[in-house]
Amino acid sequence: MLIPHPLLGPRDAQEFTYLGDAALMNRPDPAAGEDAFCDHVYLRGNPAGVHRELWFHEQGDRSWLVVTRNTLTHEILGAELATDVARRSE
Amino acid sequence: MTDLIPMTALGGAAPRSRRHGALSLVERPDIALASLALRRGAVAPAPGGLVLPGPGGLASADGLAAFWTGPGQWMVEAAGQAEADFAAALAAMAPGCSVTEQTDGWACFEVAGDAAALEALAERLVNLPAAALAPGRATRTVLHHMGVFALRRDPGCLALWGMRSAAGSLWHALDQAALRLTAFDET
Repeated sequence: MLIPHPLLGPRDAQEFTYLGDAALMNRPDPAAGEDAFCDHVYLRGNPAGVHRELWFHEQGDRSWLVVTRNTLTHEILGAELATDVARRSE
Repeated sequence: MTDLIPMTALGGAAPRSRRHGALSLVERPDIALASLALRRGAVAPAPGGLVLPGPGGLASADGLAAFWTGPGQWMVEAAGQAEADFAAALAAMAPGCSVTEQTDGWACFEVAGDAAALEALAERLVNLPAAALAPGRATRTVLHHMGVFALRRDPGCLALWGMRSAAGSLWHALDQAALRLTAFDET
């Protein structure tokens, strides 16, 4: 599987480690209460289809990527730097 | 008084070298290495007139060479300065940046040969598109399950920086790959 790194071009997925749902980046407000944090930490969607997920380029430039992947076909639809995604949502 | 004996990463008193057909391998204990990282929002410096390269790039000038290792991060090499305090010299050339000495954590091996032989060797060692190791390109990747920096200094030279503690394994991987590649060329 190849991951299209936004800076380095196509890279072998073996260079990456997988974290999971990119929703982990949306940490609730500290005042949001325990229920919100419980959901953030423990609850994940498990979609059969397009999924946005966090991958770490551990054996490369050590950047975090948000990779959009179809979990049914393993097709990779895009990848962008997680820092860019975070900046956009600020 | 303790009598210390300097030795290279492979344990020898002198750098190891080996020749297989068109390819020659050599250990380079003389190259000093330091990492350079920008603080948040800082402008990239030009240490010693060296223009720091962009992603996947390698640049050299006046005995220094730098390669990109991540956003706002580079490794800077200085040939022949491994026994000097190169990190301090680099820190003076790049005020306001985070500079860390790296020389002793790494071992450098260089493979010299014609471009076609080096590309054939790289195809066997690392899972990268050929463009990532075109002359003047450098990148971090995996080689025999070890993280390495692979640098194509020029068409006839491929350099690999690996963990010093795994120098023997890295040398073995390079040596065997070069041997197998060239064994059938020798007549």
